[in-house]
Amino acid sequence: MNCYMNTISIIIDDQKLETDPGKTILEVCRENGIDILTMCHLKGVLDIGACRLCLVEIEGVNKLLSACTTKVAANMIVRTNTDRIKKYQRITTELFFAERNHVCAVCVANGKCELQDLGYKVGLDHIRYPHLFPQCEVDTSHPWYVMDHNRCIMCTRCVRVCNEVEGAHNWDVMNRGHQVRIISDFNSPWGESETCTSCGKCLHACPTGAIWPKAIVQGQLQKNPGMINELVEKRKMKL
Amino acid sequence: MVKYKKMRKKKLATVWLGGCSGCHMSLLDIDERILDVAQLADIVKSPIVDGKEMPDVDIALVEGSVTSDEHYREILHIRKKAKTLIAFGDCAVMTNVTGMRNYFPLKEVFDAAYVNAVSNDAEGQVPDHPSLLKLNDKVVPLQEVVNVDFVIPGCPPNADTIFYVLFEFLNDRLPDLGKAKKLKYG
Repeated sequence: MNCYMNTISIIIDDQKLETDPGKTILEVCRENGIDILTMCHLKGVLDIGACRLCLVEIEGVNKLLSACTTKVAANMIVRTNTDRIKKYQRITTELFFAERNHVCAVCVANGKCELQDLGYKVGLDHIRYPHLFPQCEVDTSHPWYVMDHNRCIMCTRCVRVCNEVEGAHNWDVMNRGHQVRIISDFNSPWGESETCTSCGKCLHACPTGAIWPKAIVQGQLQKNPGMINELVEKRKMKL
Repeated sequence: MVKYKKMRKKKLATVWLGGCSGCHMSLLDIDERILDVAQLADIVKSPIVDGKEMPDVDIALVEGSVTSDEHYREILHIRKKAKTLIAFGDCAVMTNVTGMRNYFPLKEVFDAAYVNAVSNDAEGQVPDHPSLLKLNDKVVPLQEVVNVDFVIPGCPPNADTIFYVLFEFLNDRLPDLGKAKKLKYG
């Protein structure tokens, strides 16, 4: 009889791993040093599988599944770095750039941007799709922060952190397709929000330069997305 | 046995379309390494040399995006004349700052610059002299008009990156920015 009743074995990239059931493929990969690209994943808030960067191949399943929302199962055979997956990661990254107006040269997050880092990782040198060039709003109505929809990639990390960690639910999502937008309250200026506590967690959760503090100038942006998980863990200890 | 053959000196052109010339400044930042380039190539057309007509060249570095009828004609001409056309800098690759006017109708853009500008006196008007180039409605990167053989993103690209790409091409090798860890936007 198996003496490790509580663990299951899975194979990721030809590597045999023992792990606890109930974890996601992404968690297991990160624990074992297997690099998986993510954008919408933020430790401390729920995963929604929105960005499609963490897609993996699972033997016996004929479509790609997101590693952040798929739980491991016994004897699962997962591949994370096939040519097919790399192709899709590159396409996804290009579409991020083509959908909104990402002008790195004039962005506060230039050099400290997760989208830029992602581009470098997938080897993106140009974008094969025509840019949409949408006319996006820049909401400067909040006294301390700015929401620039030009730079938003709809990862919804701000929405989840505001809802799950701060509990304010100031942010939400409006519309569908390429017209989708992050909104404050019922699509009113951020500065007039009745729910926003101005805590600034959304700013730290934001992977790009979409949400940033007015007090800084270009190149000085410091974001600390890791603090979200720290907060969550500290609150658990108090209970 | 590989027989040493003296390589023909290549011809190099650098062109400045809808950009700020920052990429050319960065090109000059390769400093003394320009002597290495000069050993392998003649710079036959560039904003920094006294060249007139665009001759047939091996490599053309094209800075800036296509913003007007003049740029459009120019890039088609360059494509015919250049064996290898390199999109040079973020504007040429993905429009960058020059493309920021694409979010607005062209009339609004002109009015903002010439009619409603804060610095204007009371009678601002849009210049329309026939000798002026005509702005296109939308700014497009080079790749939407012609086939581009290689891209160097960056605003501006690092001098090291520019030298790396030039040196590889001049030695008949194909550079790989991803593998060389030289990718940069902004």
